[in-house]
Amino acid sequence: MTTATDHWRKPPFIANPVLRYGLYAAVLVYIVVTLSTLPIDWARVSQGLTRAGRIFGGAFPPSFERSGLLIDGFMESLKIAILATVGGVLLSVPIAFMAARNIAALPVYYLGRAIIVVARSFHPVIVAIIFVKAVGFGPFAGILTLVVYSIGFVAKLLAERIEEIDPGPVEAMKAAGASFLPTLFYAVFPQIMQRQIGLSIYQLDSNLRASAVVGIVGAGGIGATLANAFGRYDYDFALAITMVIVGVILISEAVSGAIRKRIA
Amino acid sequence: MLTIKGLVKRYGAGDPVLKDLELEVPGEEVVSVIGSSGAGKSTLLRCINRLVEPTSGTITLNGTDFTALGKRDLRIGRRRIGMVFQSFNLVDRLTVMENVQSGRLGYISTWAALTRRYPKQDIQRAFELMERVGIAHYADKRADELSGGERQRVGVIRALMQQPEILLADEPTASLDPKTSEQIMTLLRDLARELKLPVIINIHNVNEARQFSDRIVGMRYGRIIFDDLPAALTDDAMHEIYSGIPHADRQVEGEAA
Repeated sequence: MTTATDHWRKPPFIANPVLRYGLYAAVLVYIVVTLSTLPIDWARVSQGLTRAGRIFGGAFPPSFERSGLLIDGFMESLKIAILATVGGVLLSVPIAFMAARNIAALPVYYLGRAIIVVARSFHPVIVAIIFVKAVGFGPFAGILTLVVYSIGFVAKLLAERIEEIDPGPVEAMKAAGASFLPTLFYAVFPQIMQRQIGLSIYQLDSNLRASAVVGIVGAGGIGATLANAFGRYDYDFALAITMVIVGVILISEAVSGAIRKRIA
Repeated sequence: MLTIKGLVKRYGAGDPVLKDLELEVPGEEVVSVIGSSGAGKSTLLRCINRLVEPTSGTITLNGTDFTALGKRDLRIGRRRIGMVFQSFNLVDRLTVMENVQSGRLGYISTWAALTRRYPKQDIQRAFELMERVGIAHYADKRADELSGGERQRVGVIRALMQQPEILLADEPTASLDPKTSEQIMTLLRDLARELKLPVIINIHNVNEARQFSDRIVGMRYGRIIFDDLPAALTDDAMHEIYSGIPHADRQVEGEAA
């Protein structure tokens, strides 16, 4: 009888030791080189700290004096978010079906995927800048931006859900002689409905958040109000706006989370 | 009457799954197809309604050559063939009634289907059939609330809603416990008699095949090597059908056929 060994070590993630230590060293060298070549001016950092101190000093206490403006801004953001979600989701459903390999023919599939890739490749701020240039300042640019943003997210995840459906019911509908649309509505929609509703609620939440950001580049809503407040050095009003944004987003996240849990 | 002549199904370049198959199912017979996994039972059934596209051969149901149908005619032709599945293939999140009515999707307009405005006689027929198998009180329940046996009853009723000329059952009891399995087999046999409907059942349980069918077809590696009354299925014949050496090209053309 042989004695069993009494030590064991987890095999390393990268088996080849040369490659392993080489990789560690490369990462380390890259960080050192980056830090030493990037123009970080420590003198200016310390100046910046005092400036930041002044901003925060000016921001306290937050001022709710112009709450009318604040509420208007928020209502506009909410409208932007809701309209963009409705429009985005409505457009996302057909695009998602186009981009699902198990439903769409190959050319349609590529078209659907292409739309999603384009919608996803730009950050909403960049899209907003383009739309502000195209249709001018204001909430309409914000709505268009967030519609694009919604398509990128909802259509992609919905398409993935469609590709994961149980093909059994589809086969059953086919065997019964059902044509394309009834098959979709009976065998596919019921299977993706839950995800669809969850995604829409999440997207509403997400659009509300994003509407504050795109407002800063001129696409309307509370972001525009915030940008104006900063521009006029009204730091106390800006702080009030920021606090309300955080509060509203917490609430909307809680609500959307609760709803999504309920429908699961 | 269903007549299959020279049916071949080949996936890719490999050995065909079905090799020059001949089968005739007249009148109102319950035919059980037995054979080990991979013998081609499921492919045979799916070739009949062309869920799987046959490579060559003809399949004729009461005068219609199904292999010759174009896309639209095939869709209409499929209404005449009911199918029952091993995993039931119900839509879990729809009600039992919606699942049952989905058997009529080949008949009703898209608009009627979407708005759930089913024709009166369809609703009546659905309730009659559901009553017959004891699930009428579940009409408004979601399909995933039902037990396995109840779900397969929904599957059977959905197929019968098509008013099919033949019923195909692909291992309808393989996901069920022995007792429920027997109930479903009894149901299939009795319904076949009542509705004068020929039924082809793929089945793994040879005892059930013996007990519930008028005729047994034994398949092995894409060929029918046994076709006779249940009483004629001797141990030797069983051994032949299920014997373990996978010699696909063993030339045992159905002597009994």
